[in-house]
Amino acid sequence: MHKHSATEITTLFTKGEISAEEIAKNTLARIEHFDKDVGAFLAVHSERMLKKAANLDQKRKSGEKLGALAGVPVAIKDNIHINGTLTTCASKFLSNYKAVFDATVCSLLEEEGALLVGKTNLDEFAMGSSTENSAYQKTRNPWDLSCTPGGSSGGSAAAVSARFCPLSLGSDTGGSIRQPASFTGIVGFKPSYGRVSRYGLVAFASSLDQIGPFSTTVTDAALMMQVIGRGCDKDSTSIHAKAPDYVGSLSSSMKGLKIGIPWHFLEQLNEEVKQNFLASVEICKKLGAEIIDVDLDILSHSIAVYYVLATAEASTNLARFDGVRYGVRSPKATNLEQVYDLSRHDGFGPEVKNRILLGTYVLSSGYKDAYYKKAQQVRTLIIEKFKTAFTGCNLVMMPTSPFPAFTLGEIQDPLQMYLQDIFTIAANLIGAPAISIPSGFSNKNMPLGVQLIGPYMHDKEVLSAAFAFEKACGFGSKIPQAFDKEISV
Amino acid sequence: MTNIQYDLWQPVIGLEVHIQLNTKTKLFSSAPNRFGDEPNTNITDVCTGQPGTLPVLNKEVLKKAVQLGLALKSSIAPFSRFDRKSYFYPDSPRNFQITQFDHPIISGGTILADVEGVTKAFAVNRAHIEDDAGMLKHFSTFAGVDYNRAGVPLIEVVSEACIHSSKEAVAYATALRAIMEYIDASDCNMEEGSLRFDANISVRLKTETTLRNKIEIKNMNSFHNMEMAIDSEIKRQIRLYSENPDADPKTIIQGGTYRFDLEKKETVLMRKKEAAEDYRYFPEPDLPPVFISASFIEEIKKDLPELPHERFKRYTEQLFLSPAAASTLINDRQMCLYFERAYATCPHAKNLCNWLIVEFTGRIKDSGRTLQAIGILPEHVASLVNMIEDGTITGKIAKCVADDMILSPGKDCRLIVKENPDYQPLQDTSSIEALIDQVLSENSQSVTDYKAGKTKAFAFLIGQVMKLCKGKASPIMVNEILTKKLQ
Repeated sequence: MHKHSATEITTLFTKGEISAEEIAKNTLARIEHFDKDVGAFLAVHSERMLKKAANLDQKRKSGEKLGALAGVPVAIKDNIHINGTLTTCASKFLSNYKAVFDATVCSLLEEEGALLVGKTNLDEFAMGSSTENSAYQKTRNPWDLSCTPGGSSGGSAAAVSARFCPLSLGSDTGGSIRQPASFTGIVGFKPSYGRVSRYGLVAFASSLDQIGPFSTTVTDAALMMQVIGRGCDKDSTSIHAKAPDYVGSLSSSMKGLKIGIPWHFLEQLNEEVKQNFLASVEICKKLGAEIIDVDLDILSHSIAVYYVLATAEASTNLARFDGVRYGVRSPKATNLEQVYDLSRHDGFGPEVKNRILLGTYVLSSGYKDAYYKKAQQVRTLIIEKFKTAFTGCNLVMMPTSPFPAFTLGEIQDPLQMYLQDIFTIAANLIGAPAISIPSGFSNKNMPLGVQLIGPYMHDKEVLSAAFAFEKACGFGSKIPQAFDKEISV
Repeated sequence: MTNIQYDLWQPVIGLEVHIQLNTKTKLFSSAPNRFGDEPNTNITDVCTGQPGTLPVLNKEVLKKAVQLGLALKSSIAPFSRFDRKSYFYPDSPRNFQITQFDHPIISGGTILADVEGVTKAFAVNRAHIEDDAGMLKHFSTFAGVDYNRAGVPLIEVVSEACIHSSKEAVAYATALRAIMEYIDASDCNMEEGSLRFDANISVRLKTETTLRNKIEIKNMNSFHNMEMAIDSEIKRQIRLYSENPDADPKTIIQGGTYRFDLEKKETVLMRKKEAAEDYRYFPEPDLPPVFISASFIEEIKKDLPELPHERFKRYTEQLFLSPAAASTLINDRQMCLYFERAYATCPHAKNLCNWLIVEFTGRIKDSGRTLQAIGILPEHVASLVNMIEDGTITGKIAKCVADDMILSPGKDCRLIVKENPDYQPLQDTSSIEALIDQVLSENSQSVTDYKAGKTKAFAFLIGQVMKLCKGKASPIMVNEILTKKLQ
């Protein structure tokens, strides 16, 4: 069953060929068997899932309408709320925090019959590119357990890559869906800003955060978007336009598409990644796409801009974690100042502290103009540059990550780690839809990914081109060998 | 001790007024905006800053803000924006306030206020929307936070530094309160904290053109306290400058935040300016900018009620009320509504106003209740004044009738007059003549005095007649007949 896509599973379930209970039990058995090696999950909601599965089976028996994701197990990144269950954000600070409401995405998934499996590991508060910043555990890459699955949504990526479940949710602030998708050989989609409601996602950088799917196929990502890509009254930045038919508009051709490539910006590319990227470009050409050169040299500033803006927003978003209302209040505190200082000192890990400090600094009077305001100006320039680029092409194509997955512990220098995001950050800065699709393997047999970025709101077009690429490339749906076996329930 | 010449100095005051809007729900959540409920009952997940929650702007707030902008003849920004203002305090659920920093919804404008009979125009710098904080409650061994108030919509109106006395400050604040009440944007209940004042105060020699250092007094919650606080601070500053004529003024008054100590009747330093926080303002990414269209403004303009200064003009120029009487009425919105209802059936505005703000107000002052609350209908007060004006009763009888109206609220005063024989005026000339004859014969000395030119004796004789008739005779008739008889 682990080979099935979400689309296949829901079809099997709807036809009555497999019960939701069987699906749930199979999922739980795989997690039980494999996750001690992978460490994808922070919490598995076995009881809850089995109960929902029983309900679903009952519904099918009584002939009720079944949803678009009926019977599909979906794992949720642990910075997205499922009412009544822990949302830790992989932080010690929230080790005791039970969500008091459902994130809009979780309600939508359950309305359509998805089975929420549990909560997946991440870099604390989604700050990181390797999931090593989790306060709880390391997550390993199913393709090589000594490697990172990427981050920050490393748990959600590993869960799908190891075929614990066919779908999962991640959040992407600077590449946190796409980079782990490329590291683990699956599809990861960051929708246009506002496509998916952020209500119930614990905010990292509000103007950049976006929830999106991990899947083994582009069709499944489109299916998931069909369910979660809706306007939400509780999120003021939500897009209220009618959701497009993502699945229906998938096309296996790239005819008439112009794909822009910032060749100059990509000159320094690592040889292995470069060869893979060139091969990917050839695939697009064969599919009928016209390749053009676009000037996006401004991307060299994107990391600097990102780490000013994202940390500025994060420094205020994380201010609410003060030990007064919820979370872990330091038992050593004897007065208000100590409640603040000690709770935050004990509760946050070093990377989170780095970013809060950096964000506080760039907003401080005397520095705000030089950092925050300047970064906003450059962000506007990047948006303009992309607008110009998109006048000549439909999509921009780049590698997802400058390197294949690295070994756990390999990157110690935060700045080196930040470079992971060099190709992914721009899509967040401009609010554009972007997808990472498997494009091959490195010499060490680690997955590589290619990224397609579309203009704001052109989510449908991005998914459609990715679908064509996936069909032609043939590297999609590859399962890491160690996990490519059935586990008996 | 220096002899301080206060009149050489000019106080310069700017007011910041925080006004809670009377919307049904809070600024960014669907929680009820209501005062006085059990702690932490009017809250949603947004109000307590739960992670994962997001603010959604209450459109009703925009409407009220635009109404205020129109009332102040301000410029209403077609584009405004919210910002985060960061500071840590337990009453702030997110540890940042959502406010408007560099793109407020309202800029400029004027508040017309009556200062001791003279209408003055005070310039408004800006007004912006922001959310209120919760409230800290201290108990013997711990403190608690009530988030019922957290997220209540506020409009902060910031004046220019154009106010030069405590009287002007009170007049400005009173006029602003009246505006907010008339456009029905706030309850303006100072005891409940829906209207709060901060004042920035400096003084300078009248010959100076630049400003000296200012201090801020926070949270004065009544007009009376504000007047006392400002006066005491002005005196303090002038005294300090006067006592140190040779020192650099910058060292005498240093910026800081003060509060007014009600017992000591003086301002007390809370924190110095150096300790002022860096609020690290930046645009709130969870809220899109606010766009106000011209048609939205037009729509609101159409329904804008008569504003206090327009009403003041009408009362003084068309109804001939004195400025003081007009102000008294207008600044008490309930009373003014009451007056308007009574005026609908009683054209004698001046007398009606007097009966309302002097006679009836005086009678019920101690009860702490309003005419409305007691249950006296404005139509009945109108009747009473009409009866005086058409001579049905005398003013003297009217006072007794008013007493009875308070004792039996809701009873038609015409019925009260009809049922009580004592309230029937003495109208036939012969009875009044008989009374006057009696008084004249009993007071021959006064008659002699009057004829000798002592005019006071006339008033005495009138008084005697009125006493004898128990006030039922028309003073005008008594006057006429007595004059005739004494000739």
